Amino acid sequence: MRRILQAACGAVAMLALGGASARADVTVLGWPGGPEEVALRATVEAYNKQPSVAADDKVKLIFFNRDNFWDKLQADLAAGTAEFDVNLTATYAVGRYAPFMDPIDLPAAAHTTFSDGVLKTMQFEGKQYGVPTDLSLHFLYYRTDLIAKLLADPTWKAKYTEIAQAKWGKALAPKDPDQWTWDDYAATALFFTRSLNSDSPTRYGTVLQMKNLLFNMMVWHSTARSFGGNWTDASGAVTVDGPGYRAGLELYKKLYDAGTSPKDSLSYEFAEANAAFGSGQVATMLQWNAAFGDLDNKEKNPTVAGKIGTVAPPAGPEGRFTHIHGLGLGLNASTKHKDGALKFLNWLATPDAMLLYAKAGGSPALQPAIVEKIASDRPDLVKLGDYAGKYGFVMNGATSAKALQIYQLQAKEFTGYWAGTETEDAALKNVAAGMAELLKK
Amino acid sequence: MARRKPAAAPTRLGGRRDGWLMIAPLTALLVVMLAVPLAVDLVYAVSRVTFETLRAPSVIGFGNFAVVLRDGQFWGAMLFSLRFAVLVTAAELLLALTLAIFLAPLLASIPWLMAPLLLPMMVAPALVGLMYRLVLHEFVGAVPYYFVLLTGDSPSFLGPDTAFWTLVTIETLQWTPFALLILYTAYQSIPTDVREAASLDGTGPLQMLRYVELPLMRPTILAVGFIRFIDSFRVFDNVYTLTGAGAGGDTTTISIYIYEAFFRRDDIGVAVAASMILLAIAFAMLTVVLRWSERRA
Repeated sequence: MRRILQAACGAVAMLALGGASARADVTVLGWPGGPEEVALRATVEAYNKQPSVAADDKVKLIFFNRDNFWDKLQADLAAGTAEFDVNLTATYAVGRYAPFMDPIDLPAAAHTTFSDGVLKTMQFEGKQYGVPTDLSLHFLYYRTDLIAKLLADPTWKAKYTEIAQAKWGKALAPKDPDQWTWDDYAATALFFTRSLNSDSPTRYGTVLQMKNLLFNMMVWHSTARSFGGNWTDASGAVTVDGPGYRAGLELYKKLYDAGTSPKDSLSYEFAEANAAFGSGQVATMLQWNAAFGDLDNKEKNPTVAGKIGTVAPPAGPEGRFTHIHGLGLGLNASTKHKDGALKFLNWLATPDAMLLYAKAGGSPALQPAIVEKIASDRPDLVKLGDYAGKYGFVMNGATSAKALQIYQLQAKEFTGYWAGTETEDAALKNVAAGMAELLKK
Repeated sequence: MARRKPAAAPTRLGGRRDGWLMIAPLTALLVVMLAVPLAVDLVYAVSRVTFETLRAPSVIGFGNFAVVLRDGQFWGAMLFSLRFAVLVTAAELLLALTLAIFLAPLLASIPWLMAPLLLPMMVAPALVGLMYRLVLHEFVGAVPYYFVLLTGDSPSFLGPDTAFWTLVTIETLQWTPFALLILYTAYQSIPTDVREAASLDGTGPLQMLRYVELPLMRPTILAVGFIRFIDSFRVFDNVYTLTGAGAGGDTTTISIYIYEAFFRRDDIGVAVAASMILLAIAFAMLTVVLRWSERRA
């Protein structure tokens, strides 16, 4: 009996030691299921192979499911988990997670890698909370074959002007998408909608993402901002109930009601919009830059691959704008391996590490001198940096602690207006009142 | 000579101790899994608490309950859930009862046919929601494909006017097999001699159903209806994955309301207060149903 007990105690001790040894690694919680995961895996593998990295500082990766990722992360951080030492964060969530994270001091090399503007996407109240690994913004996607014919064919040109006059109230002529205003976008969407133009080769002119979802608000903000809309003015007063927001809301409503976007657009988000565009039955789409790789892949989307053009979103009276936000990695305040975690984060912010990350499929916004080194492999990153610099914006207050709740509030109210279950006035009034309350707290 | 101790007393004591020992694990499990969370919930329900203050909630009294009861969205969600649950329960009972009666001869001769009929309820509800996102998608879904093929156009399945009915249909399709399984078992368990006696008295098939079979199945029908009502009233997974809260919050069930208050709005006190109100309503309903059942018995 005693021997059995001794053996059992020995086994327990060994298990405990094994557990302690496993916990000696630096654990990083990454963004799952996309190019970011692939890139992070490759980068971490390179980091772990370095002879200078001690055994206890080796990095291991864990991933949650992407569904409701941020809510699960919030629950874990609030519970004071030490299961991961480094966690994902995002521009719109920096303020939300800041109470559970430790600010970091990045090395000088980080300024060679990233511009100040990009580093700011991971800052809250002047403190750095993460290394910006990926930047997201919006492109206007369009079918190059259809637009080329529209610009060349006199019959299509005449019909375009006729439809623009009849349905949009302006006699517009076709233009290169890089020169579009929102009127040109609307006229093109109307022209390529078969229910309005029986000659249209596509069923719909565009696909709008109108599901009650915070990420869809980010897409729509690129429109609202170009009309002059913003969350607050310089003094912090809420300004959503103004002409900029109204013009953006009405543009979506008119296009949806005219039938230029699929009937179920009010349940569409990233995946549904991509499926619609990839089917070849949609001519244009406002979408995240991350969609390009799959859409232009001949195996995944044979109908449209090789026929896709991307430009910055169309211009409004205030100019062209694209919402930007970053994903990044920062330090969990409850970490038990702070030194090892900081070593990894400091290394990750260097040009060499970010070049590895970019080469493996990540989308970091790098300084021109750095991105040049990878331009032949990743030409899209050049455009990413270029657009972020020229057109990128973050709404005033969009990194505050309550930013996610504000996005959610806008999504609920504005989708109600688009669905016709709420008036524009009521939606804007509710959003303004809710935002004032959220920003006050 | 020493007197022998009476044997009965230690046995009774030992029996009582053994009894306590036997129920101790279950009691401990219930305390840990139910009583402790309920106690924490009761504290949160009367506190101002966010993710930042989970460990230091400040007690504010019954303000959270007042906020919930004054919130139009809460009542909207309750109404949605009630309407959804009533329709789904009625549809499932009707469909399952019809199938149980009409398929009874076939299922009696080929029992394994029940297995494929039960498949829908074996799929995780969240997966069902994701599956229908694909199935109903205008450009990649099978249903819209055939609509376009046959009529040249596809209707909206998840638009503001149709989403509710699509959700009711999906929930009904997934959970009718559950009702079918139980109602078919109840139908099969009606004694043959009862049916034979009724036939000898000249009872026709419809009279048999109305005056013999349905009355005998009534307790089972009520039990299945009650279980399905509770389940569909607190539906979350498939609705959330299919439409979320819906355009303008149109498909916000009471579970989605609580989830959003908790995770999205960080109003943990309000979310827990709403849960408590829901618990009280469910408890009241259960009490009424049990008392009614006892009286009927």
